[in-house]
Amino acid sequence: MVRLIRAELRKLLGLPTAWVGLVLGTLMAPVVVLLNAPYTRRAIAAGTLTDTPDLGLRDLGIGLIGPVILGVIVVSSEYTSTGEDAPGARQLTATLTAAPDRLRLLAAKTTALVLVVAAQAAITAAATLTLTKVLYAEHAPAPAPTRVVAAILYWVLTALLAYAIALITRNGIVPLTLLILNSTVVSVSYLLTKVTDLAAYLPDIAGAHMFIRSADFPVEIAPVTAGLVMTAWVVALLAVGAVLFHRRDA
Amino acid sequence: MNTTRAELRKLVTLPSLRLTALLTWTGTLLLTFAYASAESRGEPLGHDAALAPLGYTQAGFLVLGVLAAASEHQAGDQIRTTLLAMPRRLPLHAAKAVTLAAVTLPLAAVTAVTSTVPAGDTARTPAATAYLILTTLLAAAVASLVRRAVPAMVLLLSLYFIAGPLLRARSDTIAAYLPDTAALDPSRGTAATIIWTLSALTLAALTVHRRDA
Repeated sequence: MVRLIRAELRKLLGLPTAWVGLVLGTLMAPVVVLLNAPYTRRAIAAGTLTDTPDLGLRDLGIGLIGPVILGVIVVSSEYTSTGEDAPGARQLTATLTAAPDRLRLLAAKTTALVLVVAAQAAITAAATLTLTKVLYAEHAPAPAPTRVVAAILYWVLTALLAYAIALITRNGIVPLTLLILNSTVVSVSYLLTKVTDLAAYLPDIAGAHMFIRSADFPVEIAPVTAGLVMTAWVVALLAVGAVLFHRRDA
Repeated sequence: MNTTRAELRKLVTLPSLRLTALLTWTGTLLLTFAYASAESRGEPLGHDAALAPLGYTQAGFLVLGVLAAASEHQAGDQIRTTLLAMPRRLPLHAAKAVTLAAVTLPLAAVTAVTSTVPAGDTARTPAATAYLILTTLLAAAVASLVRRAVPAMVLLLSLYFIAGPLLRARSDTIAAYLPDTAALDPSRGTAATIIWTLSALTLAALTVHRRDA
């Protein structure tokens, strides 16, 4: 199993697009915090910014494109054609020859993805929060460690969500479009909460409750419940993905 | 003429394009409904319910353009067969752009109507339709440069939905130069959309002309 995980890690980190996701995801949040610093300072001075305890953690969300790309690319890279000389061949054929037990393979893939995204999230969170502390020392108290862990968990679960959808659709475009659209300033899920309160239980909205306190949400969900709701979504989609991966022709 | 007809058949018979079109339209319908119901509750989401849903569903048109162009380079390298049948590359590229625009037109019109008419702003339908077609062509040009669907999608989506909003929030001067400002504010971004699309198409044409297939 360890060898499988190591192999999957090497495969993932050997993909150029994965590095795009790693670099984008890691740099985005700190850079945005830095660029917005003058505006935020002014807003704090004017007293218009009331949710200062959420400062650093809220800006973390902008980097979510990183985990989404990583989660998608882990799957979609297996299904892209290897090259012009053998158009029908895909990497998955080679992968399954080396590791025929599909569920074990899937477990190894999932572990590799979780490890990479967790490391990325930890680094990004550390960088963003340190920056916030340096920039607005007296206004932004350091968030409780549990909230930072919850934010990292949110990143990992988002990556797994993208991964599960990609496993089901066997195509990178659907999860990429869905999840990047949803990480915009006003997300589609947020719009849906205006239609029905049930939309508050969509994975990304519920998940944000894990670490953001002051936000304009229609339904208040306790952090632990929020974590459970998002995990339930991810587990359900992953289960469907695993069954399909197990049963379907490669 | 033959080239155009052949390209048309290729586009119309791609199952992924049909699916994208269906999903895009359904998404627009859903978002229009969300905006309308938020408005009726007395808490409107933003100021322009006629165009706001299109700001999201233009993602569908990006996908459409990318898939149309990248399908030539997928498994099997259809582009080789295409070039064997149609060796003059610049006319081929032009034919591709024209057919893609023609195929997109009905979908763009229907999507634009879905969004503008319920908001009572019918006058904006033609502009929105044109914008969506230009966006599709821009995406196709980018995809024919990148040649692979997923990386092209990553590039376009992060520009349109992450970098774009951030830059627009920072300054109005930058906003006028972004290709997607026109989606929400046609009075300012129209020239930018046209120039971006034309330059992307020209760059793609030159690259297609010079690069090994």
